[in-house]
Amino acid sequence: MQVNAYSKFKVPIFDVKNLNFSVRGQKILSSISLEIFNGEYIAIIGPNGGGKTTLIRLLLGLNKPTDGSIKLYGKKIKDFKEWHKIGYVPQRASLVDENFPATVEDIVKMGRVSKLTLFGRMSKEDKNAVEDAMNKMDILDLKDKMVGTLSGGQRQRVMIARALASHPEILILDEPNTGVDMVSQKNFYALLAKLNRDENITIVFITHDIGVIANDIGRLFTINQKATICNNPKETLSCEEMSELYGIEAHLIHNHKHEH
Amino acid sequence: MFEIFEYEFMQRAFVAGILIATLASISGTFIVLRRYSLMSETLAHSALVGVAVGLVAGYNPLWVAVFVAVCSAWLIEYLRSSFAIYSDAILSILLSGSLATAIIIVSLGGAFNNSLFSYLFGSILSVSSEDVVTILIFGSIALVLLIAFSKELYFIAYDEEVAKTSGIRVKFLNFLLVTVVAIIIALSIRVVGSLLIGALMVIPTVAALQYRVGFFNTVLISLFIALFSVIAGMTLSFYFSLPSGATIVLCVISIFIASLVINKK
Repeated sequence: MQVNAYSKFKVPIFDVKNLNFSVRGQKILSSISLEIFNGEYIAIIGPNGGGKTTLIRLLLGLNKPTDGSIKLYGKKIKDFKEWHKIGYVPQRASLVDENFPATVEDIVKMGRVSKLTLFGRMSKEDKNAVEDAMNKMDILDLKDKMVGTLSGGQRQRVMIARALASHPEILILDEPNTGVDMVSQKNFYALLAKLNRDENITIVFITHDIGVIANDIGRLFTINQKATICNNPKETLSCEEMSELYGIEAHLIHNHKHEH
Repeated sequence: MFEIFEYEFMQRAFVAGILIATLASISGTFIVLRRYSLMSETLAHSALVGVAVGLVAGYNPLWVAVFVAVCSAWLIEYLRSSFAIYSDAILSILLSGSLATAIIIVSLGGAFNNSLFSYLFGSILSVSSEDVVTILIFGSIALVLLIAFSKELYFIAYDEEVAKTSGIRVKFLNFLLVTVVAIIIALSIRVVGSLLIGALMVIPTVAALQYRVGFFNTVLISLFIALFSVIAGMTLSFYFSLPSGATIVLCVISIFIASLVINKK
């Protein structure tokens, strides 16, 4: 494995060692070891069914690994309590149930719920955080609109605003562009890069559009049961894992076209 | 015009009815959004087992109903989270199982059929002062718990997994919600009846959702619909000698249909 420039930061946010995950005897992930450090911008690619989403779910404690260890800020997942440091935007984020009774503000406020005390009304700090998150995502003027009436791109920004409202140190996004138009996608990538650069928010996201963001990302993980870590994706052409990467990339583009 | 309030049993029925409408509609919002609508039916039948046991063994049927409904709610939540069985299948199995158990117990007890009948369909005439006190005590606890955790429960209803990754104690709150709902249902069967309580829990929320407003306003509309239906239903049942539970349910269904028509796309 290449030396990672970020390893100068002592305690990784995620420290994964020898992770294995099987469902009914079928191996989904095998011997995954990786670290994610503060300030990084990491893209995860891989074929459909290759285990990308499973890896994210394991990292977030939504599934339990068959064996291997995952540490979050140096702690085992069951002992980790500071979940507000982690913002998660799942795959289906922009495909929200249209009948769910929620305004944009209702959804973004959810980002503060874990910080409230029992019967807790929103403090001034909470309200500011909610407004700030909507402002950053440029959805303040939509705050009283029902989420079900928004476009895919707008919903995506609402979901990220919810994640941002808790002031996370790391943002984990699972193919957040499902159902989002091209212009919104472009703006979205610019925004992720800005959050990473200006606010030092660590970004980890699963994507199919690796070509568009190659210049933004710091590292690239390819997940296809096993993990291949490319520490310098800008020089991917000279990267040793190139042939393996390209095999997956070609497969991805093929799938991508079929989906649309 | 207000002779209806001259009768003590009607005063009791109104107090109990208003409390139940409040509890059923607020908890119903979470139940509907969680796709747990059928759960109210199942718990109502479990409560009936409690009523049957209470009647046969000579305990206060309402207290036993609360106990059995809560146990049943925990069993449902445990089965749902621990086994690969479809949620609606679990509810269906427990619903028929509970009803069968209640029928067997009552048939063994023989003479209590009439009393059980009033719990099946609800009877405002049969609401005692003791019932009102029981509803007040348990109902207040249930309401306080619902309000205390409403933001968390709303988040879980929206997206259980995201709520979990935000540090919300999802498992605990899921158990809390089903417990509170079980208590509310058991308390309600005296007035609305176990066959009809599901309607009072689910329909006001479904009607309120037609107005496509935010969460807080949806709860308010749902509460208003439930209160109006219970008061109108009880008044109509008093003046026209109709069964209370069925009249209330037809009132709430009328409002639901009106809401559908008003908000037609």
